[in-house]
Amino acid sequence: MAKRYDAVIIGGGHNGLTTAAYLARAGWSVLVLERRHKIGGATTTEEIVPGFRFSVLSYVVSLLRPEIIRELELPKHGLEILPLDGTFTPLPDDYLWRRDDHAWTMREIRRWSKSDADAYEEYGHLMAEMARFIKPILGIVPPDPTSLDPRGWPPVASLLRDFGRLPRAQQQAFVGLMTMSASDFLDQWFETQPLKATMSASGIIGTFLGVKSPGTAYVLLHHYMGEIDGAFRAWGIPKGGTGGVADAIASAARALGAEIRVDAPVAKVLTTADRATGVVLESGEEIAAGTVVSAVDVRRTFLQLLDERQLPGDLVDEVKRFKFRGSSGKVNLALDALPSFSALPGEGEHLRGAMSMSPSIDYMEQAYDDAKYGRFSRKPYIDMIIPTLVDPDMAPPGKHVMSCFVQYAPYHLAEGTWDDQREAFGDAVIDAIATVAPNIRDIVVGRQVVTPLDMERTYGLTEGNIFHGELSLEQLFFSRPVPGWARYRTPIRDYWMAGSSTHPGGGIMAANGRLAALEILRSRRQKAA
Amino acid sequence: MTVRDGWDAIVVGAGHNGLVTAAYLAKAGMRTLVLERREKVGGLVGTVEIADGTYAPTFFHTVGRLRPIVAKELGLYDAGLGLVAPEVRAFAPRVDGRAITLWSDPARTANELRAWSPADADAYVGFDRRVRALARFLGELGDMTPPDPSSPTVSDALRGILLGRAFRGLDRKDAQALLRYLPMAVADFVAESFETDSLRALLAWRGVRFTAMGPWSGGTTQVLLADSAGNDGGAAGETVVARGGPGALAEAILTAARAAGAEVRTGAEVAAIRTRGERVVGVALASGEEIDAPVVASGVDPRTTILSLLDPMAAGPTLRWRAGNIRMPGTVTKVNLALSALPAFPAAGSGEDGAKRLRGRIVLADGVDALERAFDASKYGRVSDELVLEATIPSLVDRSLAPAGRHVMSIIAQWTPSTLREGTWDDAARKTVGDAVVARLATVAPGIDGLVTARQVLTPGDIERELGPAGGHPYHGEPGLDQWFAWRPMLGLARYRYPVAGLYLCGSGAHPGGGVTGVPGRNAAREIVGDRRKRR
Repeated sequence: MAKRYDAVIIGGGHNGLTTAAYLARAGWSVLVLERRHKIGGATTTEEIVPGFRFSVLSYVVSLLRPEIIRELELPKHGLEILPLDGTFTPLPDDYLWRRDDHAWTMREIRRWSKSDADAYEEYGHLMAEMARFIKPILGIVPPDPTSLDPRGWPPVASLLRDFGRLPRAQQQAFVGLMTMSASDFLDQWFETQPLKATMSASGIIGTFLGVKSPGTAYVLLHHYMGEIDGAFRAWGIPKGGTGGVADAIASAARALGAEIRVDAPVAKVLTTADRATGVVLESGEEIAAGTVVSAVDVRRTFLQLLDERQLPGDLVDEVKRFKFRGSSGKVNLALDALPSFSALPGEGEHLRGAMSMSPSIDYMEQAYDDAKYGRFSRKPYIDMIIPTLVDPDMAPPGKHVMSCFVQYAPYHLAEGTWDDQREAFGDAVIDAIATVAPNIRDIVVGRQVVTPLDMERTYGLTEGNIFHGELSLEQLFFSRPVPGWARYRTPIRDYWMAGSSTHPGGGIMAANGRLAALEILRSRRQKAA
Repeated sequence: MTVRDGWDAIVVGAGHNGLVTAAYLAKAGMRTLVLERREKVGGLVGTVEIADGTYAPTFFHTVGRLRPIVAKELGLYDAGLGLVAPEVRAFAPRVDGRAITLWSDPARTANELRAWSPADADAYVGFDRRVRALARFLGELGDMTPPDPSSPTVSDALRGILLGRAFRGLDRKDAQALLRYLPMAVADFVAESFETDSLRALLAWRGVRFTAMGPWSGGTTQVLLADSAGNDGGAAGETVVARGGPGALAEAILTAARAAGAEVRTGAEVAAIRTRGERVVGVALASGEEIDAPVVASGVDPRTTILSLLDPMAAGPTLRWRAGNIRMPGTVTKVNLALSALPAFPAAGSGEDGAKRLRGRIVLADGVDALERAFDASKYGRVSDELVLEATIPSLVDRSLAPAGRHVMSIIAQWTPSTLREGTWDDAARKTVGDAVVARLATVAPGIDGLVTARQVLTPGDIERELGPAGGHPYHGEPGLDQWFAWRPMLGLARYRYPVAGLYLCGSGAHPGGGVTGVPGRNAAREIVGDRRKRR
């Protein structure tokens, strides 16, 4: 029998790699097992069209935890985040263009509405305060509210205490953020449709909810949370695509002594008497380990890697009803020239930031209505970025890549299959872009359409959910992934969870991987003591 | 403290909560005056004669959420209240002639469900048990005054709730489930237990009734559970009517309040709540008359109270801005029909059971998607082409409500948004929606259109104008999670006190919200009496 590791990590996405790095840093012998031929999972850069490199799935970084960047010294391992300046919302005959330049943005919003410009400033301050207040929650291991076990409560109590000290208006705003729809929340402040629609978009990304659905407001905070991380500017695109993030974490993990194997799909977790003892690969190879960590999603963690008879029945039920239902797709375009928007033709700084297809709240909501009844949006919300403008190495000289995140694309189609609908979906996206950038059809030299089904098949994202499970209120904090199991543990001793199905959810944060590693280490210390 | 008129407290508005507050204050020895703008008490809980000898519910047609302790403490049964609970809770006929019936006996319901789905039949009793367990907790939560997040003990208070008697009384599974369920979409909640779409829709309806939300909106499971709180509704929901119509409930509370010594004046519209410095000193009527009292409890919705009744200087710009943001998107149109005969619903079948099925709530919602599509229209300021209806035939349960052989039907039609994107709620719009309701009924009760001898239609605009609540919202504020518990109607007002000393909330705008429970009124009175003791 081969070497016995202190820990094996199933899944070489950014969270699995982060857990590996932290455990290795504590002196553990660690092995990461990745199913695909390369690491990164959904955090990956691939050359799909010859000469053009795409961030296939996730494409921006906003909430990568600064403590992780610091503790794992990621810049030393090649992490470089290139800033994205501003958000450009094109309409057929006008646009709204917000930039990092505050005075510019105020002038631009005033062009649409004077009262919105006034409110924007106040809103910005309020959201920064809110983000400052809520950010600690990303570093908290959720307590079990039904347990008398006092562990986990002190940080929550301190958060509540801080809440009590906020001015009333801020308390109210916080409650609104946690419970309202993005549209209702923004209605309290603004009237300009493209402004509200573009801001509200952050509330629906990766969820099967619309901008008018209660519970979408809180994601409005994410942008501000990224903003206030201060020292390290976290909103931007990684050099070399998002694969660059995974590569940096992997490099850090290796430097700390972790081993990483690709093309090593895990078939099952091995157990003896309710304790994990290692894994068996699909090849039949067995690898023994003192601790097994699953960084894949919760459904795979419990129902695929274990036998459900090993688990309490109610946990199995909860896992089965955990909501994935992916709602987004990705269209990556290889371009031989830059798109030209009819409202602001030609090249310019507006192409260097995010471009958001979100002309009005109704447009956004109607896109959702399509999805509710099992159709992809005929007029989708699209978030576009042209990475080659800040990172020219991603395409041959003079050529460009354009990344289009598209919502909604429901995993469950009412009619047909995604294999039949793939190209129609890609065409709908091009058609939508053509309404504001008519030259788009002429400049596309290659395209990759990633449907929710592709995300599931190729990248292991169950039902194509980019966050390993919907970030809806009932699947957050102490209910994530399932009530009673929010502390990275599982009912199988020495078997742990570290993927995005756990608190604090998806996105390239890596907080899950770090918190899981810290919990594992703490539990080991307790056992030793 | 001397008061010219000698009143200890004035209650603005004689809706059921205003009357409940007055009754409790009077019982506690406070000299209490209730002022009602309309000529009759009850507000949305009333009975109206829509044709000779034909009496219909003004708005609410069932009163089963009235908290038993309120009835007991105020002696409402002695004051003439009679409640009737038909064996059938809800009946959902479909256009294809099939139907689902929810009986008050869950076992009987489960038995009938077997024809639809054995799995659903097996799941029903357990689902009903769980709804009851969770609703019991919400009922206890409803009886408490929410904590103030600004008090230093808030974390203790919240933890106290989570670890408190009622919460611990739930088994651990239910307790964990509760936290997961509250923010959940009711469509998901019912789908976790049942596969039959018609059954899902019938149950989910209670999570969206009276709201501007659809079954896929987050937080609607909380609405459903709250609808079961404090009564024995369970999964099927309450279907309890007051003998003599809902107005009889208001009359009984009025009788109890008067017996306790409260005075109630109708036709007395309060135009302003008067303040001096930081304190309330009384009210001014539309007639110009001023009445003094150190305590004013407003049963009027909080948005109207702050924006229309309170002096802008006393309220201040921040409170006014926040009050303007209280969400009150009414979506309900009320239709009452006088019928020359009992309409036939072929889906009910014949015989004794067939007749019984019509005695509960009759819900016309063909599936969860149909509910959602009806809601979709309202998002864009349109009235749905496929209205969702909940009807009752009160004259089947109480023969005194219509002349012999004739009947009266009460219908809640949703979603008809209070703010239309095109046009207004004028006479033509009112007629259109009235016609649409009758036409929809005719799809399951053929020929009903020929039986209508009189019709009354109250659009959201009419409800606001005639009955008061802003936006025509029957709950005095959307029951979403953003206006819930310690932040209903908003943070800082959930403890029944406005920031003006002596001014209180006692209506459905306050925790635990609308739905003819009497609980906001009871809780408000408890706080008012407590404050008075402290001052002494």
